[in-house]
Amino acid sequence: MKKTLNINIGNSIIHIEEEAYEMLTAYLNEVKAHFATSADHYEIVTDIENRIAEMFREILFQQQRQVVELQDVAQVIAQMGTVKQFEEVDEEADSTVPPSHEGVKKLYRDTDEGIVAGVCAGFSHYLEIDVRWIRVIALISFFIGGSGILAYLIMWMIIPRAVSRSEKMYMKGEAVNLQGFIRNFEEELAGNQLIKRSTGFIAEVVDAIGRVLGKVGKLFLKIIAGLIILFGCFCLLGLCISLAMVLGFSDANPNDYFPFNIVNTDYLPTMILAVFVAFAVPLIALILFSIRVLFNTRAINRTVSFALLIVWLAGVMTSIFYITKVSSEFKERAEFTDVKDLKPYGTYNLLINRTRFFSKEDSVRYRISSSNYRGRVILNDEDGPFTMPRNVSLSIEKSDNGKVTLAQNFSAQGKTFENALQYAQNIHYGFSQQDSVLNFSPQLQLTKNTNWRGQSVELILKVPVGVKLLLHRDFDRYLQRYGSWSCEGETDDDQDVKVWTMTEDGLKCDLHKSE
Amino acid sequence: MIAENTQTQMRKGILEYCVLLIISKGEIYASDIIAELKKAKLLVVEGTLYPLLTRLKNNGLLSYNWVESTSGPPRKYYLLTEQGRDMVNRLDVTWMELSYAIETSKQIKQ
Repeated sequence: MKKTLNINIGNSIIHIEEEAYEMLTAYLNEVKAHFATSADHYEIVTDIENRIAEMFREILFQQQRQVVELQDVAQVIAQMGTVKQFEEVDEEADSTVPPSHEGVKKLYRDTDEGIVAGVCAGFSHYLEIDVRWIRVIALISFFIGGSGILAYLIMWMIIPRAVSRSEKMYMKGEAVNLQGFIRNFEEELAGNQLIKRSTGFIAEVVDAIGRVLGKVGKLFLKIIAGLIILFGCFCLLGLCISLAMVLGFSDANPNDYFPFNIVNTDYLPTMILAVFVAFAVPLIALILFSIRVLFNTRAINRTVSFALLIVWLAGVMTSIFYITKVSSEFKERAEFTDVKDLKPYGTYNLLINRTRFFSKEDSVRYRISSSNYRGRVILNDEDGPFTMPRNVSLSIEKSDNGKVTLAQNFSAQGKTFENALQYAQNIHYGFSQQDSVLNFSPQLQLTKNTNWRGQSVELILKVPVGVKLLLHRDFDRYLQRYGSWSCEGETDDDQDVKVWTMTEDGLKCDLHKSE
Repeated sequence: MIAENTQTQMRKGILEYCVLLIISKGEIYASDIIAELKKAKLLVVEGTLYPLLTRLKNNGLLSYNWVESTSGPPRKYYLLTEQGRDMVNRLDVTWMELSYAIETSKQIKQ
């Protein structure tokens, strides 16, 4: 990238690079100076300028370019002839060309040859002393209370950097005229010396450090990429296995487990596939990208990546569609209450009954003929239902009418109220009374293939004042408001069963029962 | 040095004559004059031509027309005036004389 200027020469607008402009200006100044003594100098210079403009236009047109460059100016000058060549032919015109800027020197920073900011190199050009001596002086001054460093910084700020060709020529005291330009230009063409100047010591060190860091960083990046590939492949494998398990082995009925139990069975496979795609595609993309980093290859072409993107979008869209669809099934909540009268006793023993009867659903689930197992029970050792969010709660209240009742409050969610009510009605909760023993099931049961729709049962046991209740510690997790922890007496007893008595103020823990 | 000076003087006079001769063939553009001069192996740079043309024009030997160009602004096309034509004729005679002088000088030497 180079800076260009717009010039108006011979009534044409020409785009010209800055360096080329400087050279052209120097040339035209010399030409003007050469003809200054002639009476018709204005006309001559105008003719020359017109012709130069025309040559530029021709060059640009022939080479299909926009901007005049340095070598174009050099070519035009060669054709037009330098002032020196004019003098050979024409001697009556006074040939005393004022030596423009000859010997004029300006102080610039030479960043081409400098080590830090080119201050010393700039002074060496200005004072015509070898840069080494100036550096030695600077280095010595650095150790005199660091004043040299301050001076250096100040000079760094104040002295401008030699950027353009003419600035560099002023810096070196070269005559900023055409000969100077041409010499400078030819030098540059000859060996590209100006550009490929030997860089300074610190620059080399910085370069070396940069290279080492770059290599270490690259290695580090490759290791990370390798790990990502490994990890990504494992994840992908895991995803594939779980997909196969969920889709292929329908024996392991996934409908019982969260979150699969939320989704309606008829579109479960589609949704699982969509979710699989939504997770797998980014994983594949990550792996492919890491491969690219690791092996410096173009791992995938544009078409493939585009196809992957489309597949991924489809997967995400489908997932979102089903997720909203499923979540819409939780819009309405319905509940109904079923009140049972219990046989009155003075003391009730409340138990959580983990056994349950072998149901028809179970026989289907386990592929066992139900006729052989009728009446048998399954011992469910699970403490709480993992299969569903907690959905059984029990609260014990004072009965106002002297009766012992158990209200079962079934509730569920659904797309519509009827829908929700239907779900609520499909809840089965195992409760039974055997004399004074009340058996509570730890979980509720749904008919097979019923999705989870926030089904829950809220049990309200109402007992009159004076009735004693024996509560096992297990009830802590189901009981609202009360817990065995509020029944810890001074005696450090560690009983599982606590005795509670219903009073006018509600359930009270009987601390002295153990005595 | 003396030889160079003589050469320069000779070339200078002949250049002027040649330019007039080229223009005498018809209206012509400056760079075309250069091309003709190059063909005649009378090598010059363009820059030297413009002062010459201007001087000849100011002396009344030449005039110019602005001619529209297909690309860019109009160009100056030079042509001879009556005075210029007279000048060419006179120079023709002079050249004959000079040529004769040189030829004869050479023959005498042989």
